[in-house]
Amino acid sequence: MGTTETVEIDLGLVEELTKQETAALDAKHARSLSYRDEAKRHLPGGVSSSWQTWPPHPIYVDRGEGSRVWDIDGNEYVDYHNGYGVMVMGHAHPKIVEAVRDRVAKGTHFAQPTEDALPVAEQLAERTGLPYWRFGNSGTEATLDAVRIMRASTGRDLIVKVEGTYHGHHDALMVSVFPPEDQAGPRERPNSVPQTPGLIPGTLESVVNVPFNDLELARQVFAERGSEIAGMIIEPVMTNCGVVLPDEGYLDGLKETCHTHGAMFAYDEVKTGFTVAWGGAIEAFGVQPDLVAFAKALGAGIPCGAIGGTEEAMAGVISGDIDQVGTFNGNPLTMAAARVNLTEVLVKPAYQRLDEINEILHRCDDVIARYRLTASMKTLGAKGSIDWSSTPIHEYRDLWKIDDRVPQLAWLWQLNRGVFKSPGSKWESWTTSIVMSDADADRYVENFESFAQAITS
Amino acid sequence: MAARTEFDLEVIDALIVREEATLEPNRQASIAYRAKADRYVAGGVASSWQDSPPHAIYIDRGEKNRIWDIDQNEYVDFHLGYGAMVVGHAHPKIVEAIRRQAALGTHFAQPTKHLDVIGENLTERFSLPLWRFANSGTEATLEAGRLMRANTGRDMIIKIEGTYHGHHDSLMFSVTPEASDMGPREHPTTVPQAMGIPQAFADLVIVVPYNDLEAARRAFAEHEGKVAGMILEPAMMNCGVILPEAGYLQGLKDLCHENGAYLAFDEVKTGATLAYGGAVEAFGVVPDIICLAKAIGGGTPCGAIGATQELYQPIVDGTYDMAGTFNGNPLTMAASQATLLEVLTPEAYEGFDRIDKAMKDGLTSVIEKTGLPAYVSGIGAKGSVIYSTEPVREYRDAVGIDERISYLAWLFQQNRGVFKSPWTKQETWTLSVWHTEDDAARYIANFEEFATAVTA
Repeated sequence: MGTTETVEIDLGLVEELTKQETAALDAKHARSLSYRDEAKRHLPGGVSSSWQTWPPHPIYVDRGEGSRVWDIDGNEYVDYHNGYGVMVMGHAHPKIVEAVRDRVAKGTHFAQPTEDALPVAEQLAERTGLPYWRFGNSGTEATLDAVRIMRASTGRDLIVKVEGTYHGHHDALMVSVFPPEDQAGPRERPNSVPQTPGLIPGTLESVVNVPFNDLELARQVFAERGSEIAGMIIEPVMTNCGVVLPDEGYLDGLKETCHTHGAMFAYDEVKTGFTVAWGGAIEAFGVQPDLVAFAKALGAGIPCGAIGGTEEAMAGVISGDIDQVGTFNGNPLTMAAARVNLTEVLVKPAYQRLDEINEILHRCDDVIARYRLTASMKTLGAKGSIDWSSTPIHEYRDLWKIDDRVPQLAWLWQLNRGVFKSPGSKWESWTTSIVMSDADADRYVENFESFAQAITS
Repeated sequence: MAARTEFDLEVIDALIVREEATLEPNRQASIAYRAKADRYVAGGVASSWQDSPPHAIYIDRGEKNRIWDIDQNEYVDFHLGYGAMVVGHAHPKIVEAIRRQAALGTHFAQPTKHLDVIGENLTERFSLPLWRFANSGTEATLEAGRLMRANTGRDMIIKIEGTYHGHHDSLMFSVTPEASDMGPREHPTTVPQAMGIPQAFADLVIVVPYNDLEAARRAFAEHEGKVAGMILEPAMMNCGVILPEAGYLQGLKDLCHENGAYLAFDEVKTGATLAYGGAVEAFGVVPDIICLAKAIGGGTPCGAIGATQELYQPIVDGTYDMAGTFNGNPLTMAASQATLLEVLTPEAYEGFDRIDKAMKDGLTSVIEKTGLPAYVSGIGAKGSVIYSTEPVREYRDAVGIDERISYLAWLFQQNRGVFKSPWTKQETWTLSVWHTEDDAARYIANFEEFATAVTA
């Protein structure tokens, strides 16, 4: 945006509205609220993952169909959450339902190879240009494999990652995911901040963080410690602070730097794979890494993960020197769903629909301009975000200046008006699906406008 | 009883050549498909442990206690997807549950109403109050390590030599160490199982032999105040079925608690297989943490972590997050609910015990008749033939057993309509709720042919 004429948001008003919206939400969620108490007896916090609960309370979902979900109170929503960006094909897609129904009758698990893995791998190879693939059960397992392969292949320990990115909950990368300002250290030399207690000691020392979109700082790190670095892992589009796009030349610069120092370059495309484009970020930005981790949208709603790479990067796995293993890896149910997902559902023309939806959503730009909001909007394929900042977020530290009360209210506002979105804190991000209608997109824009009106009145 | 004989490895080598030659002509589709899959799937398989000598076998489908490979060979399945399918393949109740859930949506990354029912059932089985879900045994044991470290503020973890607890970094040590790398029994070396794990992590894992309470006591004493906890398979499952000796598990629990540390059971293999309440029920000791996976998902990727109120308090408080996009995935939960509440009922375990007895009786009588230097160990849905005349009490007892023996036994079964898990130096099996006395009889008859051939 860059306009100097933005209005000052009255945070007192925001807090007042937040109270009203929270009360309205509670009133709609009587069953979720009482069920949480029941669930708490056997589930810590009443949920099965800490990120399934968010203030004011967890929302228990009953079912989904196409672009819609219904909670256990019977409230209907257009789903922009999509299970943290998994369901870009929509809920209960008839082709996926059929694939699952067909496979389940033939058995879903043998811990032996089945014939669906190959067509899935073939699709992945076509979309990314990377020839060799293995499977796992989550994004966590995929990035774990990426780190293991980089370390095993180079015989080095150090991993470079970007400050403020999440790469799964295994130890190696649970560092500086959301570092607080008072612990993060200087921008040029960020501290390794543990994201959780209980990390394996030594983890912090084996990771070096660099700011996103700063090639020079990454080069300096490699210049100083290049011979210790096994590789760098990065979300090519940083997705935990809204949708943060890589600057021109950043990704190829990193790749070149890695290779100059005998290190490997890995993409975490768990969130961007199959969502930002048919060929994920590799297609969108034209830079091919040595390794790429996928999960989320790959399995069409079934736990999944995949790790792919160049022939050289996967050589240790192919030869058997590096065991890449797991009882459920390549689970036939997951593979059957993934196969149909990639060959019949998330096909190239489907991505045009995402662009059409984005065209409607970009009417939010007009709202931002008309109400002179300190905000900016970005979209890429199924992913989009509104940054509550006059300049787009360029790296993690840009978040610190954003007051999270505004996006929290924006989230409540949408929830109360039939739009289900992933909770954020300082940003507002979403995932669309190929089955969304124009009306589904209109609803988002209308809610955003009434929100803009309310906070500026 | 015939005199116990040593194995003649020359005879075994010759028989391996013969049995491999029998296997190959009937696995042409698998062999050809492997060459095709190699182009895009690293090594042609989705997990390194899906490929074992002489070559990977690609499966087409399964039904109840049977599977068919892509050459359309039919087998009775004693492999059961590395012990996950005790419900059998395509169980009608699980098929129904999955089909129903698929139409309702399979993933929201939001909580659904399955959770509470499953949590309640797990509490009933394993006597731990609180549960969270994940997508694999690897994720479950990863959380166990973190829970112990986070709650104690200590760094070291004690594990048993020769056990596997998933492929994450913290416990990938001394899983199948070579005899030359193991170090002295009193102080086993922590041997990395995989390349690509920083040496710093090895220094935090203390390895002790199974079934030796004194060794564990010594480890605690030598690292006083530094041990966060101990993780073990209550019955050790990677060298046959090795049962805990009387007092061992309770002794470990007391020892951990005396030292301000926690005890975690990795019941990924034993949970819901040894007994209704897994090893907790079978051996009467409730640990602080239990890791589950495999059998509880009815054939969908699954994992669960049970623990005490105290251990879960930081998660409830939000001091730290136990999280994952697919955790509590509604499809997995629907399959789990049918598995735990409708299929693996207390009566199912009476069935396992009945077949387990038929297996043990039949195999033992073959061993006695042929003089094979081996014995049988089993409990519930899990059992094994152990190729030693001396009881295997710990990993080191199994190290000297020649792998060719169990490989040949595997080939014999494979060529005679029984699908079994490969790899171990022992011969382990898993039973499903569909396995019958006839299936046991086939296994025993094949085993008798093998035993007769190797002792001839």
